[in-house]
Amino acid sequence: MTAADIIAAEGLTKSYGRSRGVVELTFSVRAGEVFGFLGPNGAGKSTTIRTMLDFIRPTGGAISVFGWEPRRDATAIHARTGYVPAEFGLYERMQVRAYLEAFAAFRGGSGLAQIGPLAERLSLDLDRPIHELSHGNKQKVGMVQAFMHEPELLVLDEPTQGLDPLVQQTFYALIDETKARGGTVFLSSHILPEVERVCDRVGIIREGRLLTVDDVDDLKAKALRSVIFHFAVPVDASVFVPLPSVIHAEARGDAVAITVQGELDEVVKEAARHTVINVETREPSLEEIFLRAYRDGDRT
Amino acid sequence: MSALLGVSMRTQRRAVIGWGMGLAAIATMYAAFYPSITASASQLEGYMQNLPDAVRNLIGVDYTSPAGYLRAELFALLGPILFLVYAIGAGGRAIAGEEETRSLDLLLSTPLTRTQIVRDKAVALLVAMSCLAGFLLVVMLVIGPPFDLTVPVGDAAAACVMLLLLGLAFASLALAVGCATGRKTWAYGVTGVIAVATYILNVVAPTVSALAWTRPASPFRWYLEPDPLTTGLHPVNVAVLVGITAVCTAIGVLSFRRRDVAA
Repeated sequence: MTAADIIAAEGLTKSYGRSRGVVELTFSVRAGEVFGFLGPNGAGKSTTIRTMLDFIRPTGGAISVFGWEPRRDATAIHARTGYVPAEFGLYERMQVRAYLEAFAAFRGGSGLAQIGPLAERLSLDLDRPIHELSHGNKQKVGMVQAFMHEPELLVLDEPTQGLDPLVQQTFYALIDETKARGGTVFLSSHILPEVERVCDRVGIIREGRLLTVDDVDDLKAKALRSVIFHFAVPVDASVFVPLPSVIHAEARGDAVAITVQGELDEVVKEAARHTVINVETREPSLEEIFLRAYRDGDRT
Repeated sequence: MSALLGVSMRTQRRAVIGWGMGLAAIATMYAAFYPSITASASQLEGYMQNLPDAVRNLIGVDYTSPAGYLRAELFALLGPILFLVYAIGAGGRAIAGEEETRSLDLLLSTPLTRTQIVRDKAVALLVAMSCLAGFLLVVMLVIGPPFDLTVPVGDAAAACVMLLLLGLAFASLALAVGCATGRKTWAYGVTGVIAVATYILNVVAPTVSALAWTRPASPFRWYLEPDPLTTGLHPVNVAVLVGITAVCTAIGVLSFRRRDVAA
Protein backbone atom coordinates (compact mmCIF):
# COMPACT_ATOMS: atom_id res chain seq x y z
CA MET A 1 0.00 0.00 0.00
CA THR A 2 1.00 3.62 -0.34
CA ALA A 3 0.47 6.45 2.07
CA ALA A 4 -2.51 7.63 0.05
CA ASP A 5 -4.38 4.35 0.45
CA ILE A 6 -7.32 4.63 2.80
CA ILE A 7 -8.14 0.94 2.70
CA ALA A 8 -5.62 -1.77 1.89
CA ALA A 9 -6.44 -5.47 1.83
CA GLU A 10 -3.58 -7.93 1.51
CA GLY A 11 -4.58 -11.54 0.97
CA LEU A 12 -7.66 -10.91 3.12
CA THR A 13 -9.36 -14.21 3.89
CA LYS A 14 -12.36 -15.00 6.02
CA SER A 15 -13.57 -18.57 6.23
CA TYR A 16 -16.83 -19.64 7.80
CA GLY A 17 -16.77 -23.39 7.91
CA ARG A 18 -17.75 -24.45 4.41
CA SER A 19 -19.83 -21.62 3.06
CA ARG A 20 -19.51 -17.91 2.26
CA GLY A 21 -16.45 -15.94 3.28
CA VAL A 22 -13.81 -14.28 1.14
CA VAL A 23 -10.58 -15.69 -0.24
CA GLU A 24 -7.29 -13.82 -0.53
CA LEU A 25 -8.61 -10.41 -1.49
CA THR A 26 -5.95 -7.90 -2.37
CA PHE A 27 -7.01 -4.39 -3.29
CA SER A 28 -6.57 -0.84 -2.16
CA VAL A 29 -8.80 2.19 -2.06
CA ARG A 30 -7.06 5.50 -2.67
CA ALA A 31 -7.74 8.68 -0.79
CA GLY A 32 -10.45 10.75 -2.42
CA GLU A 33 -11.86 8.12 -4.74
CA VAL A 34 -15.23 6.44 -4.90
CA PHE A 35 -14.55 2.73 -5.01
CA GLY A 36 -17.32 0.40 -6.12
CA PHE A 37 -17.44 -3.15 -4.84
CA LEU A 38 -19.61 -4.96 -7.32
CA GLY A 39 -20.95 -8.45 -6.98
CA PRO A 40 -24.09 -10.51 -6.67
CA ASN A 41 -25.70 -11.15 -3.31
CA GLY A 42 -23.69 -13.56 -1.21
CA ALA A 43 -20.43 -12.84 -3.03
CA GLY A 44 -18.65 -11.64 0.11
CA LYS A 45 -19.19 -7.88 -0.09
CA SER A 46 -20.61 -7.54 3.41
CA THR A 47 -17.98 -9.92 4.79
CA THR A 48 -15.24 -7.67 3.44
CA ILE A 49 -16.88 -4.57 4.86
CA ARG A 50 -17.33 -6.19 8.25
CA THR A 51 -13.61 -6.90 8.50
CA MET A 52 -12.88 -3.21 7.82
CA LEU A 53 -14.98 -2.18 10.80
CA ASP A 54 -13.79 -4.96 13.13
CA PHE A 55 -17.21 -6.60 13.35
CA ILE A 56 -15.50 -9.81 12.25
CA ARG A 57 -11.83 -10.80 12.23
CA PRO A 58 -9.95 -12.16 9.23
CA THR A 59 -8.85 -15.79 9.30
CA GLY A 60 -5.97 -14.95 6.97
CA GLY A 61 -4.22 -11.97 5.42
CA ALA A 62 -4.79 -8.46 6.65
CA ILE A 63 -6.78 -5.33 6.07
CA SER A 64 -5.96 -1.83 7.15
CA VAL A 65 -8.10 1.28 7.24
CA PHE A 66 -6.38 4.66 7.48
CA GLY A 67 -3.25 2.54 7.98
CA TRP A 68 -4.69 1.04 11.16
CA GLU A 69 -5.49 -2.54 11.92
CA PRO A 70 -9.22 -2.72 12.73
CA ARG A 71 -8.72 -5.17 15.58
CA ARG A 72 -6.42 -2.77 17.42
CA ASP A 73 -7.74 0.62 16.41
CA ALA A 74 -11.44 0.11 15.78
CA THR A 75 -12.37 3.21 17.76
CA ALA A 76 -10.09 5.48 15.73
CA ILE A 77 -11.38 4.00 12.47
CA HIS A 78 -15.01 4.31 13.55
CA ALA A 79 -14.54 7.95 14.56
CA ARG A 80 -13.53 8.83 10.99
CA THR A 81 -15.96 6.54 9.19
CA GLY A 82 -19.66 6.60 8.36
CA TYR A 83 -21.37 3.29 7.72
CA VAL A 84 -24.68 2.24 6.20
CA PRO A 85 -25.23 -1.52 6.49
CA ALA A 86 -27.17 -3.48 3.88
CA GLU A 87 -29.77 -4.33 6.49
CA PHE A 88 -30.07 -2.79 9.89
CA GLY A 89 -32.42 -2.33 12.79
CA LEU A 90 -33.11 0.85 14.73
CA TYR A 91 -34.46 1.43 18.20
CA GLU A 92 -38.10 1.24 17.24
CA ARG A 93 -39.44 2.95 20.35
CA MET A 94 -37.34 6.06 19.93
CA GLN A 95 -38.15 9.16 17.98
CA VAL A 96 -36.01 9.76 14.92
CA ARG A 97 -34.54 12.93 16.38
CA ALA A 98 -33.68 11.33 19.72
CA TYR A 99 -32.10 8.39 17.93
CA LEU A 100 -29.92 10.57 15.74
CA GLU A 101 -28.98 12.83 18.63
CA ALA A 102 -27.93 9.77 20.61
CA PHE A 103 -25.75 8.63 17.73
CA ALA A 104 -24.19 12.07 17.53
CA ALA A 105 -23.52 11.77 21.26
CA PHE A 106 -21.86 8.37 20.70
CA ARG A 107 -19.53 10.31 18.42
CA GLY A 108 -18.81 12.90 21.06
CA GLY A 109 -21.42 15.29 19.69
CA SER A 110 -20.00 15.22 16.18
CA GLY A 111 -22.69 15.64 13.55
CA LEU A 112 -25.36 17.13 15.77
CA ALA A 113 -25.60 20.27 13.66
CA GLN A 114 -26.09 18.30 10.44
CA ILE A 115 -29.12 16.30 11.57
CA GLY A 116 -31.62 19.01 10.68
CA PRO A 117 -30.21 19.93 7.25
CA LEU A 118 -29.76 16.30 6.19
CA ALA A 119 -33.25 15.33 7.34
CA GLU A 120 -34.63 18.23 5.36
CA ARG A 121 -32.81 17.24 2.18
CA LEU A 122 -34.07 13.69 2.52
CA SER A 123 -37.57 14.78 3.65
CA LEU A 124 -37.24 12.75 6.81
CA ASP A 125 -39.63 13.68 9.61
CA LEU A 126 -37.57 13.91 12.79
CA ASP A 127 -40.53 13.99 15.13
CA ARG A 128 -41.99 10.59 14.37
CA PRO A 129 -41.34 7.42 16.33
CA ILE A 130 -39.15 5.04 14.38
CA HIS A 131 -41.62 2.16 14.47
CA GLU A 132 -44.03 4.23 12.37
CA LEU A 133 -41.52 4.74 9.55
CA SER A 134 -41.63 2.95 6.21
CA HIS A 135 -38.64 0.89 5.12
CA GLY A 136 -37.46 3.74 2.89
CA ASN A 137 -37.64 6.24 5.73
CA LYS A 138 -35.69 3.94 8.00
CA GLN A 139 -33.03 3.80 5.29
CA LYS A 140 -32.90 7.59 5.47
CA VAL A 141 -32.25 7.44 9.20
CA GLY A 142 -29.33 5.12 8.45
CA MET A 143 -28.04 7.58 5.86
CA VAL A 144 -28.26 10.58 8.15
CA GLN A 145 -26.29 8.83 10.91
CA ALA A 146 -23.62 7.85 8.37
CA PHE A 147 -23.23 11.27 6.76
CA MET A 148 -23.92 13.65 9.62
CA HIS A 149 -20.41 13.78 11.05
CA GLU A 150 -18.92 14.37 7.59
CA PRO A 151 -16.64 11.36 7.83
CA GLU A 152 -13.40 10.98 5.90
CA LEU A 153 -14.49 7.52 4.81
CA LEU A 154 -17.97 6.34 3.93
CA VAL A 155 -18.61 2.62 3.87
CA LEU A 156 -21.91 1.93 2.17
CA ASP A 157 -23.24 -1.60 1.84
CA GLU A 158 -25.99 -1.81 -0.80
CA PRO A 159 -27.18 1.59 0.36
CA THR A 160 -29.85 2.31 -2.25
CA GLN A 161 -31.87 -0.86 -1.79
CA GLY A 162 -35.43 0.20 -1.16
CA LEU A 163 -34.85 3.90 -1.79
CA ASP A 164 -37.19 5.73 -4.12
CA PRO A 165 -35.53 7.33 -7.16
CA LEU A 166 -35.74 10.87 -5.80
CA VAL A 167 -33.97 9.90 -2.60
CA GLN A 168 -31.41 7.98 -4.63
CA GLN A 169 -30.54 11.19 -6.44
CA THR A 170 -30.05 12.98 -3.13
CA PHE A 171 -27.94 10.08 -2.01
CA TYR A 172 -25.74 10.28 -5.09
CA ALA A 173 -25.43 14.03 -4.52
CA LEU A 174 -24.27 13.36 -0.95
CA ILE A 175 -21.63 10.99 -2.27
CA ASP A 176 -20.47 13.61 -4.77
CA GLU A 177 -20.23 16.16 -1.97
CA THR A 178 -18.23 13.77 0.15
CA LYS A 179 -15.83 13.31 -2.71
CA ALA A 180 -15.67 17.06 -3.35
CA ARG A 181 -14.49 17.70 0.19
CA GLY A 182 -11.80 15.07 -0.18
CA GLY A 183 -13.59 12.14 1.40
CA THR A 184 -13.30 8.55 0.28
CA VAL A 185 -16.21 6.26 -0.44
CA PHE A 186 -16.39 2.48 -0.47
CA LEU A 187 -19.69 1.45 -1.98
CA SER A 188 -20.85 -2.11 -2.38
CA SER A 189 -23.57 -2.78 -4.87
CA HIS A 190 -25.03 -5.36 -7.20
CA ILE A 191 -26.43 -2.66 -9.48
CA LEU A 192 -24.12 -1.80 -12.35
CA PRO A 193 -25.66 1.54 -13.37
CA GLU A 194 -25.27 2.72 -9.80
CA VAL A 195 -21.60 1.85 -9.78
CA GLU A 196 -21.16 3.51 -13.18
CA ARG A 197 -22.93 6.59 -11.94
CA VAL A 198 -20.89 7.23 -8.82
CA CYS A 199 -17.66 5.21 -8.85
CA ASP A 200 -14.19 5.94 -10.16
CA ARG A 201 -12.90 2.43 -9.82
CA VAL A 202 -14.59 -0.85 -9.28
CA GLY A 203 -13.64 -4.23 -7.87
CA ILE A 204 -15.73 -7.17 -8.99
CA ILE A 205 -16.21 -9.94 -6.50
CA ARG A 206 -17.82 -13.29 -7.04
CA GLU A 207 -18.01 -16.27 -4.74
CA GLY A 208 -15.57 -14.68 -2.33
CA ARG A 209 -12.87 -13.97 -4.89
CA LEU A 210 -11.89 -10.66 -6.39
CA LEU A 211 -12.07 -11.07 -10.16
CA THR A 212 -10.78 -7.72 -11.25
CA VAL A 213 -10.14 -4.18 -10.10
CA ASP A 214 -10.42 -1.60 -12.81
CA ASP A 215 -11.35 1.95 -13.70
CA VAL A 216 -15.04 2.08 -14.38
CA ASP A 217 -14.40 3.52 -17.84
CA ASP A 218 -12.00 0.72 -18.73
CA LEU A 219 -14.37 -1.86 -17.48
CA LYS A 220 -17.14 -0.49 -19.62
CA ALA A 221 -14.84 -0.45 -22.62
CA LYS A 222 -14.00 -4.07 -22.01
CA ALA A 223 -17.56 -5.04 -21.39
CA LEU A 224 -19.51 -7.03 -23.92
CA ARG A 225 -22.69 -5.62 -25.32
CA SER A 226 -25.10 -6.97 -27.84
CA VAL A 227 -26.32 -5.08 -30.89
CA ILE A 228 -28.99 -6.27 -33.27
CA PHE A 229 -29.29 -4.66 -36.69
CA HIS A 230 -32.51 -5.19 -38.60
CA PHE A 231 -31.84 -4.86 -42.30
CA ALA A 232 -34.15 -4.40 -45.26
CA VAL A 233 -32.79 -7.60 -46.79
CA PRO A 234 -30.82 -10.46 -45.24
CA VAL A 235 -27.15 -9.60 -44.73
CA ASP A 236 -24.32 -12.07 -44.44
CA ALA A 237 -23.25 -12.09 -40.79
CA SER A 238 -19.71 -13.03 -41.71
CA VAL A 239 -18.94 -9.49 -42.94
CA PHE A 240 -18.87 -8.38 -39.29
CA VAL A 241 -16.66 -11.18 -38.01
CA PRO A 242 -13.29 -9.76 -39.18
CA LEU A 243 -13.85 -6.51 -37.25
CA PRO A 244 -11.56 -6.43 -34.20
CA SER A 245 -14.30 -5.39 -31.76
CA VAL A 246 -16.68 -8.17 -32.78
CA ILE A 247 -16.70 -11.25 -30.60
CA HIS A 248 -19.55 -13.02 -32.30
CA ALA A 249 -22.06 -12.37 -35.10
CA GLU A 250 -24.97 -14.40 -36.37
CA ALA A 251 -27.83 -13.89 -38.79
CA ARG A 252 -31.40 -14.17 -37.55
CA GLY A 253 -33.64 -13.76 -40.55
CA ASP A 254 -33.29 -10.18 -41.75
CA ALA A 255 -31.40 -9.26 -38.63
CA VAL A 256 -27.83 -9.77 -37.48
CA ALA A 257 -27.07 -10.13 -33.80
CA ILE A 258 -23.56 -9.04 -32.87
CA THR A 259 -21.67 -9.27 -29.62
CA VAL A 260 -19.26 -6.37 -29.38
CA GLN A 261 -16.48 -5.56 -27.00
CA GLY A 262 -15.44 -1.94 -26.78
CA GLU A 263 -16.28 0.69 -29.38
CA LEU A 264 -19.20 0.30 -31.74
CA ASP A 265 -17.82 2.63 -34.42
CA GLU A 266 -16.57 0.04 -36.94
CA VAL A 267 -19.60 -2.13 -36.51
CA VAL A 268 -21.98 0.75 -37.17
CA LYS A 269 -20.00 1.83 -40.23
CA GLU A 270 -20.08 -1.69 -41.62
CA ALA A 271 -23.81 -1.97 -40.97
CA ALA A 272 -24.42 1.38 -42.62
CA ARG A 273 -23.28 -0.07 -45.93
CA HIS A 274 -26.64 -1.84 -45.94
CA THR A 275 -30.16 -0.51 -45.43
CA VAL A 276 -30.74 -0.45 -41.71
CA ILE A 277 -34.38 -0.57 -40.58
CA ASN A 278 -33.77 -0.64 -36.86
CA VAL A 279 -31.00 -0.99 -34.30
CA GLU A 280 -31.42 -2.60 -30.91
CA THR A 281 -28.61 -2.16 -28.47
CA ARG A 282 -28.38 -3.15 -24.90
CA GLU A 283 -26.00 -2.04 -22.18
CA PRO A 284 -24.11 -5.02 -20.87
CA SER A 285 -25.81 -6.54 -17.89
CA LEU A 286 -23.91 -7.11 -14.74
CA GLU A 287 -23.94 -10.78 -15.54
CA GLU A 288 -22.19 -10.13 -18.83
CA ILE A 289 -19.54 -8.04 -17.16
CA PHE A 290 -19.08 -10.82 -14.69
CA LEU A 291 -18.76 -13.37 -17.47
CA ARG A 292 -16.14 -11.21 -19.04
CA ALA A 293 -14.25 -10.86 -15.78
CA TYR A 294 -14.64 -14.56 -15.25
CA ARG A 295 -12.99 -15.35 -18.55
CA ASP A 296 -10.12 -13.04 -17.71
CA GLY A 297 -9.81 -14.82 -14.42
CA ASP A 298 -9.70 -18.22 -16.11
CA ARG A 299 -7.04 -17.14 -18.53
CA THR A 300 -4.57 -16.03 -15.91
CA MET B 1 -24.30 9.73 32.20
CA SER B 2 -23.20 8.24 28.91
CA ALA B 3 -25.49 8.57 25.92
CA LEU B 4 -25.70 4.81 25.48
CA LEU B 5 -26.75 4.34 29.08
CA GLY B 6 -29.52 6.87 28.49
CA VAL B 7 -30.68 5.06 25.36
CA SER B 8 -30.50 1.65 27.04
CA MET B 9 -32.49 2.86 30.03
CA ARG B 10 -35.04 4.47 27.80
CA THR B 11 -35.61 1.23 25.91
CA GLN B 12 -36.35 -0.55 29.20
CA ARG B 13 -38.61 2.13 30.59
CA ARG B 14 -41.91 0.70 29.39
CA ALA B 15 -41.02 -2.79 30.57
CA VAL B 16 -40.02 -1.52 34.00
CA ILE B 17 -43.28 0.36 34.39
CA GLY B 18 -45.27 -2.69 33.30
CA TRP B 19 -43.46 -5.08 35.59
CA GLY B 20 -43.60 -2.63 38.46
CA MET B 21 -47.39 -2.43 38.11
CA GLY B 22 -47.60 -6.21 38.00
CA LEU B 23 -45.52 -6.52 41.15
CA ALA B 24 -47.69 -3.95 42.88
CA ALA B 25 -50.86 -5.79 41.92
CA ILE B 26 -49.54 -9.10 43.19
CA ALA B 27 -48.19 -7.61 46.42
CA THR B 28 -51.55 -5.93 47.01
CA MET B 29 -53.42 -9.17 46.41
CA TYR B 30 -51.28 -11.10 48.87
CA ALA B 31 -51.49 -8.32 51.44
CA ALA B 32 -55.28 -8.44 51.16
CA PHE B 33 -55.25 -12.18 51.96
CA TYR B 34 -53.14 -11.69 55.07
CA PRO B 35 -55.94 -10.88 57.57
CA SER B 36 -57.72 -14.13 56.72
CA ILE B 37 -54.44 -16.02 57.22
CA THR B 38 -53.93 -14.62 60.71
CA ALA B 39 -57.55 -15.43 61.53
CA SER B 40 -56.97 -19.12 60.90
CA ALA B 41 -53.42 -19.12 62.22
CA SER B 42 -53.73 -22.08 64.57
CA GLN B 43 -55.11 -24.43 61.93
CA LEU B 44 -52.46 -23.35 59.44
CA GLU B 45 -49.65 -23.89 61.90
CA GLY B 46 -50.79 -27.47 62.35
CA TYR B 47 -50.91 -27.90 58.58
CA MET B 48 -47.43 -26.44 58.22
CA GLN B 49 -46.01 -28.91 60.73
CA ASN B 50 -47.03 -31.76 58.44
CA LEU B 51 -45.40 -30.38 55.27
CA PRO B 52 -42.26 -32.11 53.93
CA ASP B 53 -38.97 -30.72 55.20
CA ALA B 54 -37.96 -29.45 51.78
CA VAL B 55 -41.05 -27.29 51.49
CA ARG B 56 -40.68 -26.01 55.03
CA ASN B 57 -37.08 -25.09 54.40
CA LEU B 58 -38.23 -23.07 51.47
CA ILE B 59 -41.18 -21.18 52.81
CA GLY B 60 -39.89 -20.87 56.37
CA VAL B 61 -41.33 -22.08 59.62
CA ASP B 62 -43.33 -19.08 60.75
CA TYR B 63 -45.98 -18.72 58.08
CA THR B 64 -48.48 -16.62 59.99
CA SER B 65 -46.14 -13.83 61.12
CA PRO B 66 -45.83 -10.88 58.73
CA ALA B 67 -42.21 -11.71 57.86
CA GLY B 68 -42.98 -15.42 57.52
CA TYR B 69 -46.00 -14.74 55.32
CA LEU B 70 -44.07 -12.37 53.06
CA ARG B 71 -41.29 -14.90 52.75
CA ALA B 72 -43.58 -17.78 51.90
CA GLU B 73 -45.84 -15.93 49.51
CA LEU B 74 -43.56 -13.37 47.94
CA PHE B 75 -39.84 -13.93 48.45
CA ALA B 76 -39.60 -17.72 48.33
CA LEU B 77 -41.06 -18.28 44.90
CA LEU B 78 -43.26 -15.69 43.21
CA GLY B 79 -40.89 -12.73 43.67
CA PRO B 80 -37.85 -14.60 42.33
CA ILE B 81 -39.89 -15.89 39.38
CA LEU B 82 -41.07 -12.42 38.44
CA PHE B 83 -37.64 -10.90 38.95
CA LEU B 84 -35.80 -13.61 37.09
CA VAL B 85 -38.16 -13.56 34.12
CA TYR B 86 -37.48 -9.86 33.79
CA ALA B 87 -33.76 -10.28 34.48
CA ILE B 88 -33.24 -13.09 32.00
CA GLY B 89 -35.32 -11.35 29.35
CA ALA B 90 -33.57 -8.01 29.68
CA GLY B 91 -30.12 -9.57 30.13
CA GLY B 92 -30.53 -11.78 27.07
CA ARG B 93 -31.83 -8.93 24.93
CA ALA B 94 -29.09 -6.47 25.93
CA ILE B 95 -26.54 -7.65 23.36
CA ALA B 96 -28.01 -10.73 21.66
CA GLY B 97 -31.36 -9.01 21.08
CA GLU B 98 -29.68 -6.05 19.40
CA GLU B 99 -27.59 -8.41 17.35
CA GLU B 100 -30.63 -10.31 16.13
CA THR B 101 -32.57 -7.17 15.22
CA ARG B 102 -29.40 -5.82 13.60
CA SER B 103 -29.41 -2.58 15.52
CA LEU B 104 -26.05 -3.64 16.96
CA ASP B 105 -24.22 -3.00 13.68
CA LEU B 106 -24.90 0.72 13.78
CA LEU B 107 -23.98 0.89 17.44
CA LEU B 108 -20.70 -0.93 16.81
CA SER B 109 -19.85 1.41 13.94
CA THR B 110 -19.60 4.33 16.36
CA PRO B 111 -16.42 5.03 18.32
CA LEU B 112 -17.86 3.23 21.35
CA THR B 113 -15.79 0.17 22.26
CA ARG B 114 -17.39 -3.21 22.77
CA THR B 115 -16.41 -2.99 26.42
CA GLN B 116 -18.21 0.33 26.80
CA ILE B 117 -21.28 -1.08 25.09
CA VAL B 118 -21.55 -4.09 27.43
CA ARG B 119 -20.76 -1.93 30.44
CA ASP B 120 -23.50 0.59 29.68
CA LYS B 121 -25.98 -2.19 28.95
CA ALA B 122 -25.09 -3.81 32.29
CA VAL B 123 -25.48 -0.54 34.17
CA ALA B 124 -28.86 -0.01 32.48
CA LEU B 125 -29.93 -3.44 33.74
CA LEU B 126 -28.78 -2.49 37.22
CA VAL B 127 -30.76 0.73 37.13
CA ALA B 128 -33.92 -0.87 35.73
CA MET B 129 -33.91 -3.72 38.23
CA SER B 130 -33.10 -1.38 41.11
CA CYS B 131 -36.19 0.58 40.14
CA LEU B 132 -38.25 -2.62 40.29
CA ALA B 133 -36.83 -3.62 43.67
CA GLY B 134 -37.29 -0.12 45.03
CA PHE B 135 -40.83 -0.07 43.76
CA LEU B 136 -41.57 -3.40 45.43
CA LEU B 137 -40.20 -2.05 48.70
CA VAL B 138 -42.38 1.04 48.53
CA VAL B 139 -45.44 -1.07 47.73
CA MET B 140 -44.72 -3.36 50.70
CA LEU B 141 -44.31 -0.44 53.05
CA VAL B 142 -47.42 1.37 51.80
CA ILE B 143 -49.85 -1.51 51.16
CA GLY B 144 -48.80 -3.79 54.05
CA PRO B 145 -49.77 -1.78 57.16
CA PRO B 146 -53.52 -1.41 56.36
CA PHE B 147 -53.68 -5.23 56.35
CA ASP B 148 -51.49 -5.56 59.48
CA LEU B 149 -48.72 -6.92 57.27
CA THR B 150 -45.94 -4.90 58.86
CA VAL B 151 -42.24 -5.68 58.84
CA PRO B 152 -39.40 -3.37 59.94
CA VAL B 153 -38.32 -1.05 57.11
CA GLY B 154 -34.73 -2.27 57.36
CA ASP B 155 -35.70 -5.91 57.01
CA ALA B 156 -38.07 -5.24 54.14
CA ALA B 157 -35.31 -3.27 52.42
CA ALA B 158 -32.83 -6.08 53.05
CA ALA B 159 -35.17 -8.60 51.42
CA CYS B 160 -35.65 -6.36 48.39
CA VAL B 161 -31.88 -5.85 48.09
CA MET B 162 -31.31 -9.60 48.16
CA LEU B 163 -34.03 -10.11 45.54
CA LEU B 164 -32.34 -7.44 43.42
CA LEU B 165 -28.93 -9.10 43.81
CA LEU B 166 -30.38 -12.49 42.90
CA GLY B 167 -31.99 -10.95 39.83
CA LEU B 168 -28.73 -9.24 38.85
CA ALA B 169 -26.81 -12.50 39.13
CA PHE B 170 -29.13 -14.15 36.60
CA ALA B 171 -29.40 -11.02 34.45
CA SER B 172 -25.62 -10.95 34.13
CA LEU B 173 -25.56 -14.66 33.32
CA ALA B 174 -28.10 -14.09 30.53
CA LEU B 175 -26.08 -11.08 29.39
CA ALA B 176 -22.91 -13.18 29.31
CA VAL B 177 -24.50 -16.01 27.33
CA GLY B 178 -25.95 -13.44 24.93
CA CYS B 179 -22.53 -11.77 24.60
CA ALA B 180 -20.85 -15.10 23.91
CA THR B 181 -23.39 -16.51 21.46
CA GLY B 182 -25.26 -13.55 20.01
CA ARG B 183 -28.43 -15.61 20.34
CA LYS B 184 -31.33 -14.62 22.55
CA THR B 185 -32.72 -18.13 22.70
CA TRP B 186 -29.41 -19.43 24.01
CA ALA B 187 -29.32 -16.70 26.62
CA TYR B 188 -32.88 -17.43 27.73
CA GLY B 189 -32.51 -21.20 27.55
CA VAL B 190 -29.19 -21.65 29.31
CA THR B 191 -30.00 -19.13 32.02
CA GLY B 192 -33.52 -20.42 32.49
CA VAL B 193 -32.35 -24.01 32.89
CA ILE B 194 -29.64 -22.97 35.35
CA ALA B 195 -32.17 -20.92 37.33
CA VAL B 196 -34.65 -23.78 37.62
CA ALA B 197 -31.94 -26.36 38.37
CA THR B 198 -30.26 -24.29 41.08
CA TYR B 199 -33.63 -23.41 42.57
CA ILE B 200 -34.54 -27.08 42.88
CA LEU B 201 -31.06 -27.88 44.15
CA ASN B 202 -31.44 -25.33 46.92
CA VAL B 203 -34.76 -26.82 47.98
CA VAL B 204 -33.74 -30.47 47.76
CA ALA B 205 -30.09 -30.41 48.86
CA PRO B 206 -30.71 -29.87 52.60
CA THR B 207 -32.87 -33.00 52.79
CA VAL B 208 -30.65 -35.30 50.73
CA SER B 209 -27.38 -35.82 52.55
CA ALA B 210 -25.53 -36.89 49.38
CA LEU B 211 -26.42 -33.55 47.79
CA ALA B 212 -25.92 -31.32 50.81
CA TRP B 213 -22.43 -30.23 49.82
CA THR B 214 -23.70 -28.94 46.45
CA ARG B 215 -26.07 -26.42 47.96
CA PRO B 216 -23.60 -23.52 48.06
CA ALA B 217 -23.46 -23.73 44.27
CA SER B 218 -27.02 -22.44 44.14
CA PRO B 219 -27.43 -18.64 44.08
CA PHE B 220 -30.75 -19.18 45.85
CA ARG B 221 -28.88 -20.57 48.86
CA TRP B 222 -27.27 -17.17 49.28
CA TYR B 223 -30.41 -15.21 48.53
CA LEU B 224 -32.72 -16.26 51.36
CA GLU B 225 -30.52 -18.04 53.93
CA PRO B 226 -30.37 -16.62 56.60
CA ASP B 227 -33.68 -14.91 56.02
CA PRO B 228 -33.16 -11.17 55.32
CA LEU B 229 -36.76 -10.51 56.38
CA THR B 230 -35.87 -11.34 59.95
CA THR B 231 -32.09 -10.97 60.09
CA GLY B 232 -31.26 -8.21 57.61
CA LEU B 233 -28.27 -8.22 55.25
CA HIS B 234 -25.30 -10.54 55.57
CA PRO B 235 -22.04 -9.45 53.97
CA VAL B 236 -21.08 -12.94 52.78
CA ASN B 237 -24.42 -13.49 51.07
CA VAL B 238 -24.23 -10.08 49.43
CA ALA B 239 -20.65 -10.75 48.37
CA VAL B 240 -21.48 -14.10 46.76
CA LEU B 241 -24.31 -12.70 44.63
CA VAL B 242 -22.36 -9.56 43.73
CA GLY B 243 -19.40 -11.79 42.88
CA ILE B 244 -21.48 -13.94 40.52
CA THR B 245 -22.71 -10.78 38.83
CA ALA B 246 -19.21 -9.36 38.47
CA VAL B 247 -17.74 -12.59 37.10
CA CYS B 248 -20.59 -13.11 34.61
CA THR B 249 -20.38 -9.51 33.40
CA ALA B 250 -16.62 -9.79 32.96
CA ILE B 251 -17.02 -13.04 31.02
CA GLY B 252 -19.62 -11.29 28.89
CA VAL B 253 -17.27 -8.42 28.08
CA LEU B 254 -14.35 -10.69 27.26
CA SER B 255 -16.33 -13.09 25.08
CA PHE B 256 -18.04 -10.25 23.23
CA ARG B 257 -14.69 -8.61 22.50
CA ARG B 258 -13.29 -11.82 21.10
CA ARG B 259 -15.93 -12.95 18.71
CA ASP B 260 -17.34 -12.10 15.31
CA VAL B 261 -20.62 -10.23 15.32
CA ALA B 262 -23.28 -11.92 13.18
CA ALA B 263 -24.10 -10.35 9.85
